[in-house]
Amino acid sequence: MSKKGFFTDTTLCIGCKACEVACKQWNQLPDDGFKFTGLSYDNSEHLGSSTWRHVAFVERPMALGMQVSGAGNFSWLMMSDVCKHCARAGCLESCPTGALVRTEYDSVYVQPDVCNGCGYCVSACPFGVIDRREDDGRAWKCTLCYDRLKADMTPACAKHCPTASIQFGDLVELRVRAQQRVEELHRRGTTEAYLYGADQPGTEGLNAFFLLVDKPEAYNLPPDPVVPTRKVRRSWVSLAGAAVAMAALAVAAVTGV
Amino acid sequence: MNQTARRKPGREQDWVAKEWAWAWPDNRRILYNRASADPDGKPWSERKKLVWWDAEKKQWTGADTPDFIKDRPPSYRPAPGTTGVDALAGDDPFIMEADGKGWLFAPSGIIDGPLPTHYEPQESVVENFLYGQQCNPKRLEYSRPDNPYHRAFADPRFPFVLTTYRLTEHHTAGGMTRVLSWLSELMPQMFCEVSPDLAALRGLRHGGWATITTARGEIEARVVVTRRMPVLRVRGQVVHQIGLPYHWSLVGLVQGDAANDLTAFVGDPNVHIQESKAFTGDIQPGRRSRKRRAAYRGELRASVPELPRDLPQVEPLQGRVPKQHELAKE
Repeated sequence: MSKKGFFTDTTLCIGCKACEVACKQWNQLPDDGFKFTGLSYDNSEHLGSSTWRHVAFVERPMALGMQVSGAGNFSWLMMSDVCKHCARAGCLESCPTGALVRTEYDSVYVQPDVCNGCGYCVSACPFGVIDRREDDGRAWKCTLCYDRLKADMTPACAKHCPTASIQFGDLVELRVRAQQRVEELHRRGTTEAYLYGADQPGTEGLNAFFLLVDKPEAYNLPPDPVVPTRKVRRSWVSLAGAAVAMAALAVAAVTGV
Repeated sequence: MNQTARRKPGREQDWVAKEWAWAWPDNRRILYNRASADPDGKPWSERKKLVWWDAEKKQWTGADTPDFIKDRPPSYRPAPGTTGVDALAGDDPFIMEADGKGWLFAPSGIIDGPLPTHYEPQESVVENFLYGQQCNPKRLEYSRPDNPYHRAFADPRFPFVLTTYRLTEHHTAGGMTRVLSWLSELMPQMFCEVSPDLAALRGLRHGGWATITTARGEIEARVVVTRRMPVLRVRGQVVHQIGLPYHWSLVGLVQGDAANDLTAFVGDPNVHIQESKAFTGDIQPGRRSRKRRAAYRGELRASVPELPRDLPQVEPLQGRVPKQHELAKE
């Protein structure tokens, strides 16, 4: 099986939230409560145990490159966020039960019948994607529509995106397409366009990556996500060093050398 | 092939770009495009040509799909007494009109003809700049106790422009979508959108509450302060707008006050659609009084002297006035 993923081109997003609704319907997810946030047109705030696609709305007091509009120095950015299915996934590496697995599509999948709800994955995700559900305690996140892929179907969000802002496909091909899109936008004058996550050293790449036109923080994305398990070796080495030092100090204190 | 999904760039095809998506029903991009050719069927402009008569093939052809009877030559003239489509001559491009002509002067068919013009809405912040008749003289008014109108323009009680609109997440007044959790959570509460300038003027806090008032009623809504809602300048006068989605009411998973409680019953003369896209009102910070107030229970604001909507000889149409017992009871 070839590696599959999402390329989300935020310059094409119109903020219709069809991806959010299609995801919830296909995966039969519960609502998040009915909370008014005042964050532009975004009332679901962030990804969570029952929101696996989330559309962020960013109102900025500045125009996009080459933007011509009556709104003056203003632009309204929309971005459909999703689990990044990291090439090196913190959730997967920290899972003690083996509930989190890497599938044949190179996606990261939680097996709900194995998950025991320990929550290690929640703190190990550098993006804050995976989350436990309050009622059953287990961890939930985007499955890359594993069940749909098995039936040779496109994930629900990409299928329902009316503007091809969410593109699903072979990662190799998506990366080429994404690079071409960036170049095209640069040619047209939107020079701030760049790819986020096509090559993310902290996670060794993201299988769901994004075309953005502002810094990652504007979209509530971490500027330099690092999978915490990368630091395991270093912390064990420091721990060993500290233990040796403590032992040496203790010996020195007793023998008085 | 999914024709709607076609994305062939415009620079790779002619200027009509028929291979970009699809235009229902016949992939025709410009209606009445027969008018782009002269009476003999030759394009008026080489640069802007859309369709033309191909004398060899004896049919209309071109960059766009011809919006005309395909094999009707420009020289065709109907015999006297002909009816229907057969009565359209070869140089009658406006095929949806009975005579095939474009009408600048419309002597029949519309009540407020024969020439197009501009009228201010029933309630405006400015006087009609164009001429003395302020509002459409043939509008449909409803004189009833629950439907008082503001002054025609410059009403000191209601200085702002109100406009109602839809959000993607809800369908019309929300009767069907407010019972669906996946849609309701995305737009869970009635809100109003105001500019930072209006927020400063009236002390409105982003995320806080505001009460919006017209002579018909009073509703409360959460406040969204956004630069998307521009401040207008009309003839040197600063005009503030208040945006109101109209998807909430008393039932469903998410409930809220209804923007339609504010609108006036006034119909356009031809199809009697009410004017809910532009009317006037006021906004104040804070929630409304506990008991929702409505005009039929007594005046919400003391009345002010009227300014004329109509020239002396003009009388608008009158809608049916309901009996007292037909008025809504709280």
